[in-house]
Amino acid sequence: MEINTMLKALQDPMGIPFYPVVFQVLMVLTFALHIMFVNFTLGTSFLSVYGYLKGGENWGRLSRSLAKAATVNISMAMLLGVAPLLFVQVVYDPFWYASNTLSAAWVMGFIFIMMLGYSLTYVFYLKRDSREHHTISPLNKGGIKGGFGIVAFVLFLLSGIIMHALGYQLLQPEKWLQWYVRGNSVDTSGISLHAFQLPRFLHFIIPSFAMTGIFLMLYAWYFKNRTDFDKGYLEWVGRTGAKMAFTFTAIQAIVGFWWLFSLPGGFNFFTNPFFLIGAALGIALLVFLYNAQKDPVKYAVPGILGAFLTIFGMSYAREALRMKYLGRFDYSIFTYKLNIDWGSTALFLATFVMGLSIIGYLLSVAYKSGRVTGEYAATHSMNKWGKISIALLLIWIVVVAGLGVIISVRNYL
Amino acid sequence: MYPIWEVPNLSAGIILALIAAFHILPSHLSTSAMWFNVYVETKAYRENRPELLEFIRKYSLLLLVFSYVLGSLSGIGIWYSATVANPRGISGLIHNYVWGWATEWVFFIIEVTGIFIYYYTLGKVDRKTHLKIGWIFAIGSWTTMVIIVGILAFMLSPGKWPETGNFFDGFFNQTYWSQLLMRTTLMFGIAAAYAIAVATRIKDADVRSFITKTASRWGIAGLILGCVLFLWYLKTLPDANRMLITALAPQGLKTGIIVSLGLLVLYFIYANVKPLTIRLFPAILAIAVLFGGIWSTERIREMIRKPYIIPQYMYSNQIIGKDVIAKGVSAEAKIINEKGLLKVAPFVPDGLREINEGNQVQAGKMIALIECSSCHVLDEKGLRAMPQMIRRLEFKPHAEAAEEVAEIEGFIDALGGYPYMPPFVGTSAEKRALATYLHSISRIK
Repeated sequence: MEINTMLKALQDPMGIPFYPVVFQVLMVLTFALHIMFVNFTLGTSFLSVYGYLKGGENWGRLSRSLAKAATVNISMAMLLGVAPLLFVQVVYDPFWYASNTLSAAWVMGFIFIMMLGYSLTYVFYLKRDSREHHTISPLNKGGIKGGFGIVAFVLFLLSGIIMHALGYQLLQPEKWLQWYVRGNSVDTSGISLHAFQLPRFLHFIIPSFAMTGIFLMLYAWYFKNRTDFDKGYLEWVGRTGAKMAFTFTAIQAIVGFWWLFSLPGGFNFFTNPFFLIGAALGIALLVFLYNAQKDPVKYAVPGILGAFLTIFGMSYAREALRMKYLGRFDYSIFTYKLNIDWGSTALFLATFVMGLSIIGYLLSVAYKSGRVTGEYAATHSMNKWGKISIALLLIWIVVVAGLGVIISVRNYL
Repeated sequence: MYPIWEVPNLSAGIILALIAAFHILPSHLSTSAMWFNVYVETKAYRENRPELLEFIRKYSLLLLVFSYVLGSLSGIGIWYSATVANPRGISGLIHNYVWGWATEWVFFIIEVTGIFIYYYTLGKVDRKTHLKIGWIFAIGSWTTMVIIVGILAFMLSPGKWPETGNFFDGFFNQTYWSQLLMRTTLMFGIAAAYAIAVATRIKDADVRSFITKTASRWGIAGLILGCVLFLWYLKTLPDANRMLITALAPQGLKTGIIVSLGLLVLYFIYANVKPLTIRLFPAILAIAVLFGGIWSTERIREMIRKPYIIPQYMYSNQIIGKDVIAKGVSAEAKIINEKGLLKVAPFVPDGLREINEGNQVQAGKMIALIECSSCHVLDEKGLRAMPQMIRRLEFKPHAEAAEEVAEIEGFIDALGGYPYMPPFVGTSAEKRALATYLHSISRIK
């Protein structure tokens, strides 16, 4: 069977319920957010163990904060991973499903590896604290407890390898049959990962340390007004972060070119506008981070915004590269069969806008309460925002239930 | 048709079922626990009983770790296992309900940010603000159930969707309301069982007693209301599915539901009378009993969906059985019967595209993998093992092999007559190949 024909045959006959470009933009945007938190996860879980084992006042304290941050970062990474996982299946279903079924055991393994890794992160965070209640010496290197953190980090790295392989296998439909077929029978075990490309993989992993550097700059900026935080400590955190951010962004640039030159020759990807924008953003970020060394705290907020913009640009470049890979077989998401469904599209968009306001309220409470030293007392406008958030949720339920009642009455009574 | 994943003796479907059943424990805890929490927290503030906050802290930590580590990941696990067990099934659902899931995802963000902030800001923000976060979480989390039940109910009873192809016609189908209300009441039973387990870890006897007593009342009310709604739910099931409960569901599962329900009601009554005698181990045992009941109910719900994975549209073996004209989709049986399954399916070895004497058994196995393996393992032992199913046909004694193969062919022809089996699709040569293969595996003793 011709690969082009096969891919057409695999596409879901139901078509997609809205214009493909909307799914693409949402997919890339949510992927960019997801990968940023994946980077935070890897970086904070690595540094929290590093600091724990290294000991000393500064590292000990930072390590404790980062262990806590890691538990939140993993959750955010998972949460934000759900959306691109959903959207990739809408527009790239033939590729995602083929790649997954070919390595099915690893796909399931990913879930259990993540469960174990995440649980160990909590064990590391909760148990290390209980130790430090009893023994004050920060140099007491509890090897076994550090072990939890190390194993967790290794497991996260392994899940990264699995996701990388799935994402890379997807780009090579010309090899799927040879991975599956053995003479006149097929390999249904799903126990092999079939493709791995080192520079591509590293390009997703190296930024973990750059992004965590910026995370540390933000940490120094965020706590700067808290009286229970030592100025010298925060200054050290900011400096360490800025140094990390710059060094690993520089390494990232080198790895990026390595990846670029390892792409299939005919792609001419270096002339692709998405690549050029992504690369320009990356270089600009590098220059920015170089300047940030003088005053990490001042550069923290524009730093994270610039870094996210770069990740978003790079994520679009990755999508453009995928279009190149799959264009070899005349596959384009823009020719996907359409079965426009305005009702459910409107439901999502309205919920999304409403959700942003509610999530905004929650994050504001977190942001404001963390910045004050004692108990945070909400202002009048914050109270109002909270009430509006609850009201919005109730209105949502009333509207949807009302719609449901109308449809049920129309269809069944 | 995508590559097939076989799990020896178990089938990929059972992996999905195990993860999905497990997911109910953390997910229903997530949707219900905060209602209990805000109730207790409000009481703590109103009656000035700060000692109750110890329970809030412990219960929210359980919620955070159990629901948002194991719960979130097993939720994604359902998706992943569906992807590798039945990719075309999950694809069909996603291509109809992508915005439904995306909408649920918005509430998922509210839940996750909400629980972290609720747990970490207890005692660090003013009381009213903290309660507001609790309310936002409670309502937002329950809303995820409002959404997912629509898709879940659709998988059993698609409402008017097969005619209209409309998102909401499928979503608000005939079993939607009964299932939503049933799950909503039962979730309080689940929350109560966990709350009692958490209470065993509290030192203050008054708090322990108060929490256990309150939770047991919530538990009894939830279970009894849930039972009544369960009966209503059974009534709303389409006739064909209800019939399958009698025809297909093993007695063990039905007993499982009744026994687990009975035990839990007794447990809650006992907890109400003697709250301080409950220790951690029996409390966890109660959760295990609860799991038994959930497992039984969910298994039956899955079984009675047969022969479909998406009702009135796609069979369990991922072959599209019916047209959905509103979406411009045609059934695949006709074209497969005409051209042959091994000709049209993409992931088939080239050597099997044409069937001949030499490759008949291998071709038969390929067909069995595609058409049978989602519900039957091909191994000697295991889930609805094929060799055992074939032996149940009880061939005539001393019959020739060819006669036995012919008998299996006759059986394959009759499959469509069973209410829970998809019909065979393919050419007559393919049917012969499948029969030959099935005969060959049923002979190995």
